[in-house]
Amino acid sequence: MAQDQGIRESEPQSFVDIVLSRLGLNLQKMGSSKLQRSRFWKKIYLTEFIPNVLLVLFGALVMWSASLTIPEASFPRHLVGILLGLAAAIAIWRYDYSLFADKSTFLLVLDIVLMLLPSIPGLGYNAMGMTGWVQIPLIGFRFQPSELAKPVTILLMASVVGAYNGKIDTLKDYLKLCGYLCVPFLLILTQPDLGTGLIVLVLGAAIIVCGGAKTRWVLITLGIIVVGAFVIVASSMTEGLPHILKQYQLNRLIVFVDPSVDPTGNGYNLQQAKIAVGSGGLFGKGIGNASQAGSGFLPEAHTDFVFALLAEEFGFLGSTFVLVMFGWVVLATVGLALRVESPFAKLVCVGVAAMWTFQVLQNIGMCIGIMPITGIPLPFISFGSSSMVSQLLSAGLVQSVWHHRKQVG
Amino acid sequence: MSLSTIIIILLIILVAALIGLYVFYNRGDERLQFDIGGQAPRAAGGNDSSAERTVRSRLLGLGLACTSVIAILLARIWSMQLLSRDEYVQQAENNRTRKISLAAPRGRILDRNGNEIVGNRPCLTVISKPEVAENDIEIQLLGNLIGMPAAAVRRKIQDQSEGAQSDRTVASDVSRRVVAFIGEHPYLFEGISVEERSARSYPYGGLAAHVVGYTGTVTREQLEESAASTEEGAIVYETGDTVGQAGIEYQYENVLQGIRGEQSVFVDANGSVLEYSTSVEPQSGSDVILTIDASLQQAAEDALASVIKKIHDTVSKACSAGSAIVLDVTNGEVLAMASCPTYSPNVFVGGISNDDWTSLQSEQSNNPLMNRAIAGQYPSASTIKPFSTFAALDNGIATNKSEYNCTGWWTGFGEASGQYCWEHAGHGKMNLVSGITYSCDVVFYEIGKGFYESDNPEAFQAKLREWGLGEITNIDLPGESVGRIPDAEWKWNYYTESADVDREWKGGDFTNLAIGQGDLLVTPIQMACAYAGVATGGKVWRPHVLKSVRSRTGNGSVVDYEPQVLREVEEKDEYKSMVHEGLVGVIYKEAEYIASYFETLPVRLAGKSGTGERVGHNPTAWYITFAPEDDPKFLVAVTIEEATWANSSAIYACRDIWGALYGVKNEIPYTVSSVESVGD
Repeated sequence: MAQDQGIRESEPQSFVDIVLSRLGLNLQKMGSSKLQRSRFWKKIYLTEFIPNVLLVLFGALVMWSASLTIPEASFPRHLVGILLGLAAAIAIWRYDYSLFADKSTFLLVLDIVLMLLPSIPGLGYNAMGMTGWVQIPLIGFRFQPSELAKPVTILLMASVVGAYNGKIDTLKDYLKLCGYLCVPFLLILTQPDLGTGLIVLVLGAAIIVCGGAKTRWVLITLGIIVVGAFVIVASSMTEGLPHILKQYQLNRLIVFVDPSVDPTGNGYNLQQAKIAVGSGGLFGKGIGNASQAGSGFLPEAHTDFVFALLAEEFGFLGSTFVLVMFGWVVLATVGLALRVESPFAKLVCVGVAAMWTFQVLQNIGMCIGIMPITGIPLPFISFGSSSMVSQLLSAGLVQSVWHHRKQVG
Repeated sequence: MSLSTIIIILLIILVAALIGLYVFYNRGDERLQFDIGGQAPRAAGGNDSSAERTVRSRLLGLGLACTSVIAILLARIWSMQLLSRDEYVQQAENNRTRKISLAAPRGRILDRNGNEIVGNRPCLTVISKPEVAENDIEIQLLGNLIGMPAAAVRRKIQDQSEGAQSDRTVASDVSRRVVAFIGEHPYLFEGISVEERSARSYPYGGLAAHVVGYTGTVTREQLEESAASTEEGAIVYETGDTVGQAGIEYQYENVLQGIRGEQSVFVDANGSVLEYSTSVEPQSGSDVILTIDASLQQAAEDALASVIKKIHDTVSKACSAGSAIVLDVTNGEVLAMASCPTYSPNVFVGGISNDDWTSLQSEQSNNPLMNRAIAGQYPSASTIKPFSTFAALDNGIATNKSEYNCTGWWTGFGEASGQYCWEHAGHGKMNLVSGITYSCDVVFYEIGKGFYESDNPEAFQAKLREWGLGEITNIDLPGESVGRIPDAEWKWNYYTESADVDREWKGGDFTNLAIGQGDLLVTPIQMACAYAGVATGGKVWRPHVLKSVRSRTGNGSVVDYEPQVLREVEEKDEYKSMVHEGLVGVIYKEAEYIASYFETLPVRLAGKSGTGERVGHNPTAWYITFAPEDDPKFLVAVTIEEATWANSSAIYACRDIWGALYGVKNEIPYTVSSVESVGD
């Protein structure tokens, strides 16, 4: 591909071409701009691209409306996050993702470094109960390395699992792969960030399962996890046994099962989120009219509970739009996984699709009371640059898979 | 969450996992060709087509799982936003709507001519949340600002009498400067706010304090009582409400108390008001118009107070209390009702201070909150003599022909139990009429003896009760006392500590009763009503201070009080004229100087004095008069505790009140004396 060729100044150019060229996207020199464009669009996986753009735009609209009533929700900062994420996405899109396929050691090291950043004195930023943040000295820029660790983990797991070509037969190999996954997972748990840890676990597990792990081993692992979780919860709730779960984590579980236990703390948040969603009705209350989110009843309305804000303002139509877009994005990604042949490419798509699905399930499910409360952002919509960059980067990965696909026949 | 719930959830997950296991396990492990896309296989590999199939089926499974997740979420959102929407909307509304109740202005209390005795005025009040009690700096600042010691501020904030959760009143009637300072420095005074409340105002000062009563913050008992009430239209109080606690304020509470309004507001999660919504205007309480005449009331209070002061300064240091009543005998209207010592109802506004309360309750202050006109109980002394006369005539104990000889010392029950007439020199020949006029005790000793020896001795007490003595008059004021008409049964049951012989009813009890001494107790309002009956010829109207109620909202309609007959006593005209003649004689025949007090009046009076003895105390002085004697309209009754002979004490207050009633003054100076010769 002739990516290094410049665009001739004299050639008539469309606005899109100019913008893309400014962003460093040199298109193939072609005889006509129309043909140029059609070549360009072929490099973009529109099936995933369109809903993804719609989600980001809708998210921006939601955040703009949130900024009307919530002082913390800064619309310009949200836009900065989108731009940063866009830059990262374009970069990964242009870069051939497959170069990561045999760089598992590098990815593992990168993953570990990212996870340990908050623990480095002078970098770690722990204020107001936030953990897992890094503040770059002098410029004061803060971000969550664990967010960036998610796409890195996807690449890592895809690279190590992909090497097996869809057939993981020996227990030793299977355990080795699980071991790879445990590195980022356990590191995140030390931060502690159970929510992100679960995402990493789920996307890694999806990659291992889709990478051809023997069904028997998968089910046995699942059984161990279930029993282990049971033991952890039971032990945390029993006097005298080690309390592995923190009290607030246990409270979230308890409240999830019975919200009336604690109507002012976690149960209150859950109740308020449900009221926000339910009171939205079919058409919603309209932009800026969300009494639950706008008057402060709904906590974290622009971050963790952003779906409740969205559902309150835009109603069932808005919620459905968001869900359908997510469904579309995820299925497009799974569809791409089915169409590409490289195991690494397949597994990258699997990891991204699993991550999005689980985050949507966890975030929206939390707002409507079918999942326990965890601080997981809604991809493309929640306020927060780290998440935005990480999610757009993942989208860029999918686009990169499309871009660098090998045409067969 | 119980452990069993967790176990059930985990079991469900386990079952789901087992089903999944079964489904996956039956897929088989066929091997198919798989293009590895340029990568070298690290394990397995070769011409193995099963891997491709496995991966493909698992990718399809992933797609299915993702679709299911979206579908589940969508189903749940559909149920919440479309099916249960109304329920959630209601909850959201409850979240953001608060109802603020708006206090209704209390009705005013006016005199019969429309003069405002009790009104309302705005009152700037500093209120505090209970938590402020823990903030020493804030309390110190607030104390400095409003000029109160910090300890006092803390005590006010810790005071739970308005309810444990409610805001505490720190200071009422603070200056605009204080309000401005608090408003400008909200960060210094967190939890402190200023409210404009409506407070009672008293344009005439403490005028008629015992009649109008006072208000206070609703007590916990009253709150509970009103909450428990199922009566239609009953007022439901809220913490911090002002309610009547005494007098008219208490008696006509449900007339004076308005109906609260309600303002709906939209609030944010911190409770700050964002927007005002609908409101229901409060309805002001109705005005109460009294039968009291403010200027006559003032005159009565002044007259009573100046006589008491005179007595206090000259013959009786203990003299500080008394009462005066002016009645319209033709309908029972109370034109004036004074009680001494008095108090200022203003001290109760915004909550009475501990110091004020202690001083009002102290022995030294002699119970100023008590309305002695209706609650004071005294032996009636000689003022009972007209009723003893009626009893004697009705029961044949005496007739208009009966004659008595008073030597000043009466030995009807033997020398050993001889009794003096108040006039130790003796009155000489007496009959019933002159017995009343000169208040000759011997005449009534004979009547007492006559009853003692008759077949139906207790007909005497029955007659007194018939005239309303020892029974409440049902005046529309709270706290009326009953009094006491002693009889044989009562005496036996009352003196349980004494020897049987002392508990028995004796002749001496009757002679005491006949002259209004001994165990007899009456209230000034009882005597006033009984004399009103004598004045009207038997018809006693229920005494009342309510003239009408005027609504302040709507058409301002007026509801008038309908006078009610309390009792009608049947006496023969002959007897009535005998008593009447005796009572006129008291004023114009007994002594010249008595008549001189009333000579400037345009009307002639009738009445009776009385001096009640109390062992160890100065006597209680009574003076009850009505006029015009031939067509009675007004009645003035004065009672003074710890006084001296009625004719040199109570009579002066009586004279001054009559002077005020008819607009004439009589300047004869007081000649207070403890000498007996002034007559009784």
